Amino acid sequence: MARELVSTGNQLAALAAIDAGCRFFGGYPITPSSEIAHEMSKLLPKVGGVFIQMEDEIAGISVALGASMSGVKAMTNTSGPGISLKSEQIGLAFMAEIPLVITNVMRGGPSTGLPTRPAQGDILQAMAPTHGDFQSITLCAGSLEECYTETVRAFNLAERFMTPVFVLLDETLGHMVGKAVLPDKEEVEKNIINRRVYEGDPLTYEPYNVGKDEPAILNPFFKGYRYHITGLHHGPTGFPTEDAKMCQELIDRLFNKILAHKDEIESYEEFMLDDADILIIAYGSVSLAAKEAIKQLRKEGVKVGLFRPITLWPSPEEKINEICNKFDKILVTEMNKGQYFKEIQRASGKKASEFETLFKANGRPISPAEIKAKIKEMVK
Amino acid sequence: MRKQLRFTGVGGQGVLLAGEILARAYVRAGKYGVQVGTYTSQVRGGPTKVDIILDDEPILYPYAVDGEIDFMLSVADKSYQLFKDGVKEGGIIVYEPNLVYPTEDDKAKWKMFPIEVITIAKEKVGNVITQSVVALAIATRMNNIDKDLVYQTMIETVPSKAVDINKKAFELGYEAAEEVLAKYS
Repeated sequence: MARELVSTGNQLAALAAIDAGCRFFGGYPITPSSEIAHEMSKLLPKVGGVFIQMEDEIAGISVALGASMSGVKAMTNTSGPGISLKSEQIGLAFMAEIPLVITNVMRGGPSTGLPTRPAQGDILQAMAPTHGDFQSITLCAGSLEECYTETVRAFNLAERFMTPVFVLLDETLGHMVGKAVLPDKEEVEKNIINRRVYEGDPLTYEPYNVGKDEPAILNPFFKGYRYHITGLHHGPTGFPTEDAKMCQELIDRLFNKILAHKDEIESYEEFMLDDADILIIAYGSVSLAAKEAIKQLRKEGVKVGLFRPITLWPSPEEKINEICNKFDKILVTEMNKGQYFKEIQRASGKKASEFETLFKANGRPISPAEIKAKIKEMVK
Repeated sequence: MRKQLRFTGVGGQGVLLAGEILARAYVRAGKYGVQVGTYTSQVRGGPTKVDIILDDEPILYPYAVDGEIDFMLSVADKSYQLFKDGVKEGGIIVYEPNLVYPTEDDKAKWKMFPIEVITIAKEKVGNVITQSVVALAIATRMNNIDKDLVYQTMIETVPSKAVDINKKAFELGYEAAEEVLAKYS
């Protein structure tokens, strides 16, 4: 039985975390993401979990990483400025292969920016939130339902690939109240992925000695399996190394463990594309405006469709290439100065001048009317 | 039929709840309701608006469309002046006459109804915090939305210890709407 709820996106993300098995939250409140923390503080004690509001964002992610290393599914939550603060520990999570879900309810930036207003300015930050080489997994909710389903998916991907996973919401989705039809809880629980555990002799345990496209197998601490965890380049047991071959293989594996399994990660939506003459590419809450504009334009006889990436990183580059090369008229619209447009252009192999764009970075949502006006210019 | 409603005030007045209850009521009736607020980073005093869309069909984009809004309720002049032009010509505006000052032109353009929303909450109900439910009842009457449906949803949504006071707020708000309709229509 599907569940029907009237809720905000933030509340749904929290509910999803609980349903996905999250039992630890460490964080620090920040608009417009705080309701995720509020909700977790109510829900976690009821399922035997732990909620800690720490003294700042850095401490928030640090305790969440500690919980995760102990085998508990953990989450931290923030908005763009908080990601900036958490940046160093995010790097540790990539390097040491610690699963963690990080929700970012985006607001206007840079710096403290526009705390109460929506934006999509953290797309490139989610791709490269810290120094060094690594592959990010970033999911972007485009509806209330997806605030739930993408958060669930983030926990499963974090455990599967032993890596931090970002879920991007924005102020609009985080705060809007509406009806959401959620998958049945048993269905969610049936599909839960838990990290692999090594069950052999503790003396031969080498957590990082895995295949070249496989994640590390990190047993929970305090269970008799000893290993070292570090942000330094490391060898099979986790102890630091500067061996050239090992260092290269480690970084290659941080990419390959994700890129070799893109089929398990990639996700996108095609909306009214079959007979379309014009393509819109949008994601997150902007896709809601795009869909509304498409419905209205079709009533006026203008055939428009939408491609909406849900997994932003790694990008669905083959699909972007295929779709962009089917259309002569393409509009890319984002609540930023064109952060994902760069990726679309790269993946499509087209020139920037072959696209129309509608970008806005003033904390105001892009409206269906603005998209319609742009499309009408394009068909003139 | 799509209805687009907007509540406006200043930060701290707590009109979000009224919108949420209306959205919940519509969903309860098997229809669709969406509420989304816009506010500033000022803790108190910044202009706020809460948009509510009610429809028989699914709603995608959650914000009301300026120029198409059927009903606006305003309890602060700053927000009234900022947001009034979103209301369609001939649309309904309910304003708190002690705090909102419409011009003569406004009265020609829209159906204007003065209701002392804050005074009712503060003095007749006895707690200013109930103004959200007073506003909810007014919006229900002014937009011909099923009274029982909204009333029941309100009872389920407000904190259990505040049900009685909010019942009173709803009844008084509804009556006030009836009165101004009789007087000005």
